[in-house]
Amino acid sequence: MKTKLTGFLLAAALIWAGGCNQKQLKKPASTGDDKPAAAAAMSEDHVRQMAQVFAQEFAAELKRQNVTLANGGTGQTGPVVPTPPVGRAVTLKSAPDVMEFYEANPDGFTVAQPGDLPSGLEWVTGAELEEFASPEAKRGGTFMEYTSDYPRTLRFVGPDANGAFRSYMLDYNAVYLVMPHPNGDGYYPGLAKEWAYGPDGRTVFFRIDPDARYSDGKPLKVTDFFFGLYMMRSKHIQAPWYNDYFSDEKFENVTIYDEQTLSIRFYKAKPDVIEKIAGLRPVPEHFYGELDEQYVEDFQFKFEPTLGAYEVKTDNVKSGESVTLTRVPGWWADKKRFFRNRFNPDAIKVTVVREPAKVFELFLKGDLDWHGLALPEYWYEKLPDDHELVKNGHVEKIQFHNDVPRPTWAVRLNSNHPVLSNQDIRVGMNYALNFSAVIEKCFRNDYERMRTVADGYGPRSHPNLKARAFSVEKAKEQFAKAGYTELGPDGILRTPAGKRLSFVFTTPYKRLDEAGVMTVLKEEAKKAGVELQVEVMERTAAWKKISEKKHEMMLGALNTSVEMYPRFWEPYHSDNAYKEDKADRYDANGKLKPGLTPKPVTNSFTLMADHEIDGLIERYRESEDLKEITQLSHTLIQKIHDHGAYVPGWVRPWYRVGQWRWVKYPKDYNVRESREPFEFHIHWIDSDEKARTLKAMEDGKASGAASIRVFDKYKLD
Amino acid sequence: MIEDNASTAPPARPIWEVVVWVLVGLMVGFAVGGLLGGLLGGLYGQFFLTSAEVGAGFINGVKQGFLYVGAAGALLGGGWCATLRFNPQTLRKLKRFYGIKRGYWSLILLAGAFSISLLGQFFVNNRALVVVHEGQTYFPALPFAASHTGVDFGMETDAEGQEYSYEVNYRELKAHFQSAGKGTVVMPLVPYSPEETRRIGDGTQHPSPPNFEARHFLGTDPIGQDIFARLFYGFRITLIFALMFTLVVYLIGVVIGCLMGYYGSWVDLLGQRAVEVWQNIPFLYMVIIAVAAISDLPFKLPAWFKILVLLIIMVLFSWTSMTYYMRTSILREKSRDYVAAAQMLGASTPRIIFNHLLPNTISTIVTFMPFTVATAIISITALDYLGFGLPSGTPSWGRMLQQGVANLHAPWIVLSAFTAMVMVLTLVTFIGEAVREAFDPKKFTTYE
Repeated sequence: MKTKLTGFLLAAALIWAGGCNQKQLKKPASTGDDKPAAAAAMSEDHVRQMAQVFAQEFAAELKRQNVTLANGGTGQTGPVVPTPPVGRAVTLKSAPDVMEFYEANPDGFTVAQPGDLPSGLEWVTGAELEEFASPEAKRGGTFMEYTSDYPRTLRFVGPDANGAFRSYMLDYNAVYLVMPHPNGDGYYPGLAKEWAYGPDGRTVFFRIDPDARYSDGKPLKVTDFFFGLYMMRSKHIQAPWYNDYFSDEKFENVTIYDEQTLSIRFYKAKPDVIEKIAGLRPVPEHFYGELDEQYVEDFQFKFEPTLGAYEVKTDNVKSGESVTLTRVPGWWADKKRFFRNRFNPDAIKVTVVREPAKVFELFLKGDLDWHGLALPEYWYEKLPDDHELVKNGHVEKIQFHNDVPRPTWAVRLNSNHPVLSNQDIRVGMNYALNFSAVIEKCFRNDYERMRTVADGYGPRSHPNLKARAFSVEKAKEQFAKAGYTELGPDGILRTPAGKRLSFVFTTPYKRLDEAGVMTVLKEEAKKAGVELQVEVMERTAAWKKISEKKHEMMLGALNTSVEMYPRFWEPYHSDNAYKEDKADRYDANGKLKPGLTPKPVTNSFTLMADHEIDGLIERYRESEDLKEITQLSHTLIQKIHDHGAYVPGWVRPWYRVGQWRWVKYPKDYNVRESREPFEFHIHWIDSDEKARTLKAMEDGKASGAASIRVFDKYKLD
Repeated sequence: MIEDNASTAPPARPIWEVVVWVLVGLMVGFAVGGLLGGLLGGLYGQFFLTSAEVGAGFINGVKQGFLYVGAAGALLGGGWCATLRFNPQTLRKLKRFYGIKRGYWSLILLAGAFSISLLGQFFVNNRALVVVHEGQTYFPALPFAASHTGVDFGMETDAEGQEYSYEVNYRELKAHFQSAGKGTVVMPLVPYSPEETRRIGDGTQHPSPPNFEARHFLGTDPIGQDIFARLFYGFRITLIFALMFTLVVYLIGVVIGCLMGYYGSWVDLLGQRAVEVWQNIPFLYMVIIAVAAISDLPFKLPAWFKILVLLIIMVLFSWTSMTYYMRTSILREKSRDYVAAAQMLGASTPRIIFNHLLPNTISTIVTFMPFTVATAIISITALDYLGFGLPSGTPSWGRMLQQGVANLHAPWIVLSAFTAMVMVLTLVTFIGEAVREAFDPKKFTTYE
């Protein structure tokens, strides 16, 4: 759930290495924080700066929008159950600082009486959804993992809390009120037993599960949601992003009705409002009492009692070496419908291994249970199909096609550039960049061409639009329209006045250059008469240049999160392209005025500014109707395609892993929305199989037939 | 070995002496002229040349200044040096060097390889040497030859069905002519250019091992570039770079070292402190900063300009060590009687330094030179390996080594790069050893 929520900032999370599911690289990309994902990818300062700018802009934007429109949510179809009798009333008993905080915001924190609960609520339970774990799962064993960096803290928020280790403790472990079903639409119950939408479409009522218990044995209290907001808004956690995301401008009100019933009101009735609301995590008040400026230091290596399946006990923290998570004895959700048969291993041992080469060797020895094989060299050369371990069935090779929004590997043309401001040139560049050659030559045809600016959002993605295929003829036709009609002796197009068609092509990703991506694009573009001057810069310097909008064209990716609908405002609205006021950006005919000042430190790397697109994006952002959102999304995708500043690159529509035979999985391997193989904890360890396999290896025998499997149930055609 | 200096009359100048002098003159002249011309040309271009794009004037100025002034400098230097002659001692040293066969042949081999690499496009190139088509003869491999599209030779579409309105692939053209039974294409020995990636053929993957039939003599790298071509052009760039580097470093180092040594006292004291301070600036950081800074300029920089900047940075941080050696040599020499004699005769300071002192310290300079070349080759390779060296796409040994290490399952990559590197460094070291032995002062200097 956390990954789904960490909204706005994620867009700023420039990922370290797309197309690579090597664990230590990919992990950070799945989270958002005051220090956004993959801080390693850019200088931390730069990221922080970006985060702050976004936070401010969002705050301003939210003020502008004050919508109270009724909407029935996402069309929940769960069975209607009568509102059960209410429980006992609640009186607040918190530490003075906390009480003061609640009292200072009477609109935000309401303690109501059991009788105040509106009647006529339709309670749903998600019972119609299917379980996604396998009943064959076995308990026990230790799952062996690694991390490239020893966790710097065990806190969930605050400085350094966004490291790779967070996903073990929180993102893949925590239980939220409701959780989105990873195989499709709908929500399954987590901490909430049942829930109901209020008539305003932005309030959701929850009845919490009376069984819910923290790992220290204390029960979950309804007031812990109040405390959750107290903590997230506290300055002491030193996490401005959280302060902003959980501000009273977004989480307008929490009302407690009785010991098990509460409601949370969001500022806007978006179709996926429940997902945003459920992101409010209860925080065990009994553990903290109140927060002070010592919080960050005091709790650096103290593990907050969790409602999830795995906890970190102090004994299991071996400083600098490893951290072992153990299964909470008698975990409260053990037998619950959507949690049974999941979280199977008794423990997860995360060992620190810094050298990638060593990690792979440890995996080959069986000391690690799995290893990512996304990179062609791992899949084809380091662990080929005829490798001893694979041939003898000790290690399985698995390719799983998932269906999620993916990092946007694309070329972004700076439409503020004097030449690239011409749409004909931009469209010509779409024809001149040969990504299918890149996919063939550099990625061995393993990857696919990205179609549009927003792939992987289900019905919100465009149903049939595709990226323009490489064509010398069409490219030259477009360039000729813009006046580049002559072919120079160097094979580059030029105007009759002698201006050559040449661009600086920047990328911060040295890895891509080493893989030949830049060379191939350059070589192919020359066929269409365009010269690309490849510029592979040191990462920080490159992002600085790009975020100052000094680039001409850049190849890179922004990370995306699994969401219901794509975001257009940040990258494509002129608010983020130019500093001038909106009224000053366009002339009377809706044409962009010349001489505008690009706005630094935004995600608008295309500097797209189009009067019509602006209007559509504004409507899109205002809209609370899923149908309209879908339709607008399609229109926007088409318009951005026509505009041409975004040249879709490639996507990796799967992940590939090598895993030891004793790591078992359900028959479809994993769920549709998984981005990593062990994210949803539906695998299990077969300890008998492990003993057998190790014995067979010792004896030099095969432990079974070779297993190289492709799971393409969720593959798009 | 050759000790026949019995004759007292100066021997007639052998032709090789002139050749050596002219070569030295050409190189020094080109380096000095090129640098000066580049600087002045840049300034001139920035302010006086009109250009369509920002900064293009500057770049053009640098380019033209470098080429023209460099060429002029080479001519001047060559001409002037042609009149010079070695003093008998140096002559003897050179003869002695000739006598050390290992070093001598190493020099011949390296010089030969370098000369061939300078004419590289006739040996390793994806442009044909000769094309005969409908009675016309073309020479696409010649420098400045116009490019011809596929359509020019009657190929309407390329292999993928795209319009063939770009420069023809001469290997495809050859196949086309063969199947059509008309026209002739003569390709160079290795028909690939270093930056060209090849498509993956049916069932084959890159990197692919050496294949003589396809004329991939050393195989291909992971993106299908020919390793021999990259090695070959990498050699050329590396060697030019190393030679330029060595020359300029010596020019600066020798001049400053001489001044420090000759004037002594506070010049020496201050000079040495300044050198110490300068030496403590971390070189790698400076490279990183400079690389970032030039990428931030508001105009486009061609690849060669970035190489030039890299050269300048490396020179800036490498001239210092030479000053120490020169300073000590000069300090020792200046107390000799011949210096006092020259001073008495009223010789000017530059004359004393450059005409009297310098030739007597030549052994210091010459013995270090080959090793500096080797260091330069290693440095540029190491920088490339780290990613701060030559611009992306330039064939470079450092990048090949890196590629090779990352793809150990394709041993031909790392083996080729490694072997080439070892061979060149060995040759340079052999030359260096021979020079050191030939110029060994203990053999010829007599102290009073």
